[in-house]
Amino acid sequence: MNSGDVMKPNDLFSINIFGLTFPISDTIVMMWIIMAVVIVLAFIFTRKLKTIPEGKQNVAEIVVETINNLIKSNIGHHWKPFAPYFGSILLFLVFSNTIGFFNIFPSGELLYKWTGIEFFEKISRFEIVPPTRDLNVTATMALMTIFLVLFSGIRYKGVKGWLGSFLKPSPIMLPFHILDYGTRTLSLSLRLFGNILAGFIVVEMAITAPLLVKFTIPVASGFFDLFDAGLQAYIFVFLSSIYISEAIE
Amino acid sequence: MSAVSGLIAIGAGIAMFTGFGAGIGLGIASSKASEGVSRNPEASGKIMSTGLIFATLSEVTAIFGFVIAVMLIGKMG
Repeated sequence: MNSGDVMKPNDLFSINIFGLTFPISDTIVMMWIIMAVVIVLAFIFTRKLKTIPEGKQNVAEIVVETINNLIKSNIGHHWKPFAPYFGSILLFLVFSNTIGFFNIFPSGELLYKWTGIEFFEKISRFEIVPPTRDLNVTATMALMTIFLVLFSGIRYKGVKGWLGSFLKPSPIMLPFHILDYGTRTLSLSLRLFGNILAGFIVVEMAITAPLLVKFTIPVASGFFDLFDAGLQAYIFVFLSSIYISEAIE
Repeated sequence: MSAVSGLIAIGAGIAMFTGFGAGIGLGIASSKASEGVSRNPEASGKIMSTGLIFATLSEVTAIFGFVIAVMLIGKMG
């Protein structure tokens, strides 16, 4: 466990492009792994599509139907352009929140002690952490969603209609509508970040605890990494779709 | 440990008091949800999903206090 600040990401190695040095943290490496997993799964499940589904295509159709129904019931009439965006966010968040469940995979330090391969010493501080443990990832997703709300409001209502909607229920609501953009971003990003970080800290403290507490590791990890993580991913997409339905009206 | 570290630790402890309000709010919401299920057992699926959604919405205030406490502890020493 890195001493001191748990909110600071671990730097693993640096790459040099065009003379600029980029430090690569373990968040970025975990996001590469998750991207690879999701892309490979997408290729496997969509090969040789037939009109009457059979086998693996059933699973893919169930997933797409569920996401479409969720978006349709919240947004309403103009649900079609938004469903792919929310589907990608939902799949990415479900995978990246629950990958902390595989923390039993040994970290780089332990692998070096067991096998003595030189490569594992350079990545000695690498262990499987959910990438949403880093505030940068969740803040980026919340910012993308709020920009989408902003631009879709301008596009579906025109600039005049969008500016007029600030005064909609009554002109007193003007500062609250302006503040809405700031507080919604904050609450979206901090909700996801706080839940995942809390689960990570609890499991870390349970690992370095006396033996009696160690028996609660599977229960704690199962609760935080499976149930809470999946719920938070669903809540993120649900709330974003409600914000968009409010902007489009 | 200097005096500033002590004050930081006390501040982090006070920041966790936000869990108090979140617990009370969640308790009230759960009691109303159970009452609704007892009056109308057929709608239990809808009531449960609605209750779960609003429970996570009201949990955010406790999470804000937790994040502040973690940030303070990182600055200690």
